[in-house]
Amino acid sequence: MKLAALAFRNIRRNRRRSVLSGSAIALATLIITLMFSILAGILGDYRANVVRYLTGHVRLRNMAYDANERLNPLHLSVPGYRDLVSRLEEEPGVAAVAPRIQFATAVYREERTFGGLGLGVDFDREQAVMQVQHSLVAGRLPRMGQREILLPAGLAAEVGAGVGDKLTLLGKNKYLGMAGMTFTVTGIARFPVAGFNRSFLLVPIDTAERLLKMEGEATEVLLLARDDRRVAALAARANEIVSEAGLTGVEARAWERIGMWHTLMRLVDTMYNFIALFFFILGTTVIINTTMMVIFERLREIGTISALGMKPGEIVRLFFLEAFFISIIAALAGVLLGSALTAVLSRTGVDLSRAMQGVSFEVSPVIRPKLNARSTVFVFFYSVAVASLASFLPSRRAARIQPVEALRSI
Amino acid sequence: MTRTLAVVRLAAFLLLATATAAFAQSAEDIVRRLEANQRFRTQEAEGALIITDRFGSRTKTFVSYAEGRERMLLAFTNPEEKGQKILRLQDEIYLYFPDAEEVVRLQGSALKEAVMGSDFSYEDLTGEKSLLDLYEVRLLGSEKLQGREQHLLELKARGRGVAYPLQKLWVDAVEFIPRRAAYYALSGRLLKTLEVLEVRQVAGRSVMSRAIMRDALKKNSSTEFRVDRVKLDQPLPKNLFSLEALSW
Repeated sequence: MKLAALAFRNIRRNRRRSVLSGSAIALATLIITLMFSILAGILGDYRANVVRYLTGHVRLRNMAYDANERLNPLHLSVPGYRDLVSRLEEEPGVAAVAPRIQFATAVYREERTFGGLGLGVDFDREQAVMQVQHSLVAGRLPRMGQREILLPAGLAAEVGAGVGDKLTLLGKNKYLGMAGMTFTVTGIARFPVAGFNRSFLLVPIDTAERLLKMEGEATEVLLLARDDRRVAALAARANEIVSEAGLTGVEARAWERIGMWHTLMRLVDTMYNFIALFFFILGTTVIINTTMMVIFERLREIGTISALGMKPGEIVRLFFLEAFFISIIAALAGVLLGSALTAVLSRTGVDLSRAMQGVSFEVSPVIRPKLNARSTVFVFFYSVAVASLASFLPSRRAARIQPVEALRSI
Repeated sequence: MTRTLAVVRLAAFLLLATATAAFAQSAEDIVRRLEANQRFRTQEAEGALIITDRFGSRTKTFVSYAEGRERMLLAFTNPEEKGQKILRLQDEIYLYFPDAEEVVRLQGSALKEAVMGSDFSYEDLTGEKSLLDLYEVRLLGSEKLQGREQHLLELKARGRGVAYPLQKLWVDAVEFIPRRAAYYALSGRLLKTLEVLEVRQVAGRSVMSRAIMRDALKKNSSTEFRVDRVKLDQPLPKNLFSLEALSW
């Protein structure tokens, strides 16, 4: 208790030194906290984009579709999807259901053609899945049953079309014959992913059925789970429903088992952990360096208190306590500042669009850092532990030096 | 014995004479006769494309009209594509869709795309010019196909504006119609083959009525082209080959 009071007095006595040491710890903690938040933001964004735009938590497709996907095999479909959607919506574990028709298409306008990916969607149901209403930057969403289209901003600029303009979609129908239909642009959307912004064009699913001769058929049905930790169980339940409906060729798969997205996410996660480790090492070096420097600088003081009769063990404990107290205050300040900065940046976003130009990855160019309570608490304790332990080595060495020698060396 | 030898000698001489006569015809002459044989004032036909690929077999029926070599109209009549039309005016290809408010003009790489997912490309529908204008023609020799004598021609493109830089053509030595064709890329890689399976006599002319096109770059893919009914040199409705008439 006496040592603790002495440690506090020492901290207050040389404020400049204490602030310097504490600032280094606070800065390192702040950077690590922010870094974790940015990485969590990127991964969360990637996951949300993949789930909302591409896979859902669970995706139902014809079993043979994936193997032939590049051939745009519309005949490998989910037949009678309307009944299936109604049945799936009754499931308690299902938060939302979205049937879609995905088709390769070309936009034809004024004798020029532009490649794109058509999506026939149910705009009402997509409010919960793709949340397309939040991406709308001009006009309105297309109405079901109408020859109306929502263009992505990138493609709209390329085509030179705006709200009210007409354009013709060309493609292949379910029978691999030609398909062509003229649509009116009712809205322009800016999707969070640059790649989607260039290619995704949305039309009402019932109109897409007419265009592609797919009466009552969808290429996929996406499910969002109420609890995203129970996705595998939901996929199993969806397969039971599919089986009960007699749809023998259709299969439900959890998003982790679809394509390379989940594998890629794990890979990116590992990569980000390495980046985080690098910042950790950098931060740790700053903390250790500052703490050790401060102690070595105080050899004269150590010699004096040793000459006054303080035992080596007490000297080590005194310096440990000093470092411990400073690091608690500094780490707390770093974590709080990092969290505050994260909160601000999560609202304003970090614009990486220039850096991400030409990158084909399902991540939004504007990153919104996300605070992770577990990693923030960990960063706090880690900073305190590193700073406190870093004080041991120099203070133990200093405490072993004879007082006369310590005083002479200064 | 002497008489037998004389008969053999005579037969050998006649054979040699026939062969020499055949080779005496230049490659250009053969092409001219081939093209003259395929030249109609007008043509009206009904037929089908039977497309077979990894997903199975599909039939697209059509009616077609042609005037000279420059103008052609193909209208699909099968339920899935009923009302869709392809119009060729010289080297321009236009597509008409009943649900589209504008006529689509195909150009550039779009011309290389398959017609109705078949092994024929839109480029295969073009070409009003004479082969002799586009290709240097060489007679490679003669071959027998299904027991019939054929002239084997090699066609090398004079310039770049052709769908196939190199072709081999088997031309029936009696009827002067193509019996087989092989189409190659500039590299010499085989792209497509065409096999004529049936020839019909219409108004004293030989008309190809069943043929099969195979895309060598696609596995298990073929398109059978079948003409069920054909009329030659009959008057056609006026203004049939125009963009305005497509929506009729």
